[in-house]
Amino acid sequence: MNQYVKMIVVLLVISCASGAVLALSYAVTNPKIQQQELQKLQESVLKVIPGATKMEEVQKDGITVYIGLDDQGNKKGIAFPASGSGFNGVIELMVGYNPTEGKLTGVEVLSMSETPGLGAKITEESFTGQFNGKSVKDQFIVKQDVQAISGATISSTAVTKAIKASLDEIVKLYPVGGDF
Amino acid sequence: MQLIKDFVNGIWNENPIFRIVIGICSALAVTTSANNGIAMGMALTFVLTCSSILISLLRNIIPSKVRIPCYVIVIATFTTVVDLFMKGYFPALYNVMGIFIPLIVVNCIVLARAEAFASKVGPLRATADALGMGLGYTWAITLISIIREIMGTGSVFGYKILGAGFTPWVIAILPPGAFIVMGILVGLMNLITRKTANSADGR
Repeated sequence: MNQYVKMIVVLLVISCASGAVLALSYAVTNPKIQQQELQKLQESVLKVIPGATKMEEVQKDGITVYIGLDDQGNKKGIAFPASGSGFNGVIELMVGYNPTEGKLTGVEVLSMSETPGLGAKITEESFTGQFNGKSVKDQFIVKQDVQAISGATISSTAVTKAIKASLDEIVKLYPVGGDF
Repeated sequence: MQLIKDFVNGIWNENPIFRIVIGICSALAVTTSANNGIAMGMALTFVLTCSSILISLLRNIIPSKVRIPCYVIVIATFTTVVDLFMKGYFPALYNVMGIFIPLIVVNCIVLARAEAFASKVGPLRATADALGMGLGYTWAITLISIIREIMGTGSVFGYKILGAGFTPWVIAILPPGAFIVMGILVGLMNLITRKTANSADGR
């Protein structure tokens, strides 16, 4: 009987200690983590909207977008998140869109787990750069108006489709030439 | 002297990847670039060392019937703590290593060393063994990833070293490449060990 009591007590004490350590670590690191994530989000938004120095989060019809503002408070464009499944997992993107001109202003890969050396090239400027200046009326079809990365057609297609799908939603909310 | 012996053991004689062949799921999955190899090695070494020390200190308190759940709780706790602190304070490092950290919990090397070594010896010897095993794991997966990165992309640590005339062998950075490279390296290790053992015997 005694050994069973000891077993239970030891396991209980270790579990409680573990729980306490985890709760403490979480309490210490959570504000920092939140802050890092916000900073990362802000950096990506400012990167895809040229000329923006501040951002403002806006909810419209349940969709979150970020409006980029310059120092004088002029609206420079809209950034919206997009995601799709790639070759190895989810690819998350931040896309910049200028409703006045109806064009994309930039694409930034937030997270992905594509094959290094192949699909991972979607993060490179040589791939994402080709979306700059693309019109919302464009087809967004890989190997036609979008150059695929050689050996990584699936990853290239995933990015292109993710951008197009979210862009169509955003264009409905913020039509070309309209106010934002 | 004993400490040095424990430390060196993991680097060559009982190298977790090439000799004992444990923990290879992570070794095969993450070794697509040399940076990944080193990062995973360092993260594993840290968790392995911390949990080995703690388990060694608790070895006389933990009843043998519940030892495995106790070890798993200790290992999982350290891994989560590393994960949280890295996310909060070293975001740049976390961006590179983030996806590998949770893999450490299921890495059999950590549990195997806790069970086979740390639970039987004092904290000093457990530390020496954990550091040696961690270093052995690190050099093994870094070697695999350097070979795969050179063959698969023509670069090493992200720097192009082979010219434009080189056609990358894409298979090397895909999953089959991991098995091929590791198989050849294990074979080479066996060959070297047999040669040195033979010459030591005077044959």
